[in-house]
Amino acid sequence: MREASRELIIRGAHVLDPLSGLDEVTDVRLAAGRVAEVGAGLRGARRLDADGLHLFPGFVDVHAHWRTPGREDEETIETGSAAAAAGGFTSVVMMPNTDPIVDKPVIVSGLVRRIENESRVRAHVSVALHEGLRGERLTEMRLLKEAGAFCVSDDGLGTQSAGVLRNGMLYAKTAGLPVILHCEDHTLATGAVHDGVPAALAGIPGSPASAEDAATATALVLATETGAKVHITHVSTALSAGLVGYFKDRADVTADTTPHHLTLTDELVGTLDGMYRVNPPLRPEKHRRDVGEALRGGILDFVATDHAPHSLSEKDLPLEEAAPGFLGHETAFAAIHTELVLKDKLSLSRLIEAMASAPGRWIGGAGTLGVGAPADLALVDLSEEWTVRPEEMVSRSRNSPYLGQKLRGRLVGTVVGGELVYDRIGERVGERV
Amino acid sequence: MRARDFIGTQDVTREDLRTVLDLAQDFAKGRLGGPTDGALSGKTVCLAFFEASTRTAVSFELAARRAGAHVISISEKGSAIQKGESLVDTVVTLDALEADAIVIRHPAAGAARLAARHTGAALVNAGDGRGQHPTQALLDVYALSEALGGLDELDGRRVAVVGDVLHSRVARSVIPTFQAAGMEVALVAPRTLLPLEAHAWNLPVISSVDDALDWGADVLYALRLQKERMTEGSPRVPSVAEYARYYGVARRHLATGTLLMHPGPVNRGVEVSGDVVFDHSSLIPTQVASGVAVRGAVLALATGAVGMEIAA
Repeated sequence: MREASRELIIRGAHVLDPLSGLDEVTDVRLAAGRVAEVGAGLRGARRLDADGLHLFPGFVDVHAHWRTPGREDEETIETGSAAAAAGGFTSVVMMPNTDPIVDKPVIVSGLVRRIENESRVRAHVSVALHEGLRGERLTEMRLLKEAGAFCVSDDGLGTQSAGVLRNGMLYAKTAGLPVILHCEDHTLATGAVHDGVPAALAGIPGSPASAEDAATATALVLATETGAKVHITHVSTALSAGLVGYFKDRADVTADTTPHHLTLTDELVGTLDGMYRVNPPLRPEKHRRDVGEALRGGILDFVATDHAPHSLSEKDLPLEEAAPGFLGHETAFAAIHTELVLKDKLSLSRLIEAMASAPGRWIGGAGTLGVGAPADLALVDLSEEWTVRPEEMVSRSRNSPYLGQKLRGRLVGTVVGGELVYDRIGERVGERV
Repeated sequence: MRARDFIGTQDVTREDLRTVLDLAQDFAKGRLGGPTDGALSGKTVCLAFFEASTRTAVSFELAARRAGAHVISISEKGSAIQKGESLVDTVVTLDALEADAIVIRHPAAGAARLAARHTGAALVNAGDGRGQHPTQALLDVYALSEALGGLDELDGRRVAVVGDVLHSRVARSVIPTFQAAGMEVALVAPRTLLPLEAHAWNLPVISSVDDALDWGADVLYALRLQKERMTEGSPRVPSVAEYARYYGVARRHLATGTLLMHPGPVNRGVEVSGDVVFDHSSLIPTQVASGVAVRGAVLALATGAVGMEIAA
């Protein structure tokens, strides 16, 4: 683990932490890796002048693919965590659909060891819900937990048998592990994009919204019945969001949606560009709007990026042949800030809640700047306008759907455990004798 | 329910247990006579086994013969049962042959109760589906009481029932029986091997044998895990290694005098690590040996050979 950090005082930032009710210009003292003091006029040897910047609790991303082990040509723990840090994320959950799949205790302990050595941010290991993600035999969840597993997931494929899913939930409950579910019915999801007008016009096979909705309904019904702690990831349709709302008080269930489902639509299918293939697919405007509304109202608890790096050879293809997935870490905050906050569809405070407080509560002990909390934070210049350029991306891959777009709001620095892990401020840190 | 039937243990009382245990002790010591002058002389006992069984069938037959009964044994193989004769028709036939007691084993819960409605003979349930297996529970209490020095010694002790509660008729019989003996019962199983309504018995649910010892278990009662629960369809347990790690009884669990019980047959290395089946803390051999005496006592009570009121 990191060494105990030196003291640092961040002066003059607008501190916004929905959980502790902070929304003012003030100073924050970090010491021994934790938030030690919040208040005006703090003094100390090492300080960072943050006038004009916003200071948020570090963002938490419960859904990322760092492609390790197996596809280190696309992302590694080092590059994935650097990309996360560049996006203000200080805690990340790594999905298990790697090669090999994370379904054995020895793979988990290996990953945990590598995270300690290679990750810039806090990273948690999600393990497969069933062996090989084949939808048959449950994994050894209790032994996996002892090896360091944080949660279980069927991400990437979903669980096609309701019986297996139900057993998985029951067993995960016994093991004390939360379950992250990718809801997709493969008998319905036979296309490459959303089965909408652009797909019809372009002649690209579509998958209907029901592919997600039917699987989401099944997952929610089973979560209610089994009492398992279930998180539905990347909700992308109006009905799935509505279903989550219906089951909210009936089950131990939470849900997220992604920056791209909040900001992009299936109009992009018209480009026929493999870049825009993602799963679940980009949806029509009505879905985008309703999903955004569900996030605003708290029916969807938080945002997760589904950061999914792909090599050029997997993306520079016709839509039908391209690998699904977008980079997410580096643009998440800026994209939502630009498309929703600046257009008055979402408050800044709710966005911070959705990127830090709520997912932080879900993983436990993160997402706040309360005194005593880990010194994990994001320093942002809300006024900075920037263009997403491939050559400036920190990830090892380049498959961002925002390439060439102008976004507003940019990370200036990210701190984990009191240490700067992303630094565009260098000169602002002043040593005082 | 008629007084002489042994269909389930749901309403068993401490007095019932004492009656059966005292009589079983008499039986074991030869006080109920032998094959020619035994308590069951002149009685006809029919064993109707619609499902395979080894120890239960053998101990019922031995008990009946040792006490002088005529025994008719029909099993799924080589009888009209195999030809598809229904449970009720079989029972009616045995009834017409003037059986005094019908001992029934059947793959469906409720079979014993249904059979009892169609015969004047005493009905003894030798295991029906996931339902009940009352003589197993009675012999367990007998074996435990012999080991601890009497039925009263069970009072206030703690027994953890470990494993596949969901599919187990043994669990459904031993839980009320141990409670009638004054014992506290807890369940130790993953949620996949418990009924969805795991609180149905109002018992604590514990998630490992280690935790059961922390709870203060004096007795670990391990249930058999059928192999198909691990291999067929959607398996309820990820692996033998994981099951054995959390729900298997190992030598270390018996170090402080905790007793081990298992209704048999044992999957060594799964429910019980191979080296402790015959450990001095294991009552498994005693349980098997208790079967004949307890089933003899049950048959004597069921046929009215020994006049005692019993509500079990």
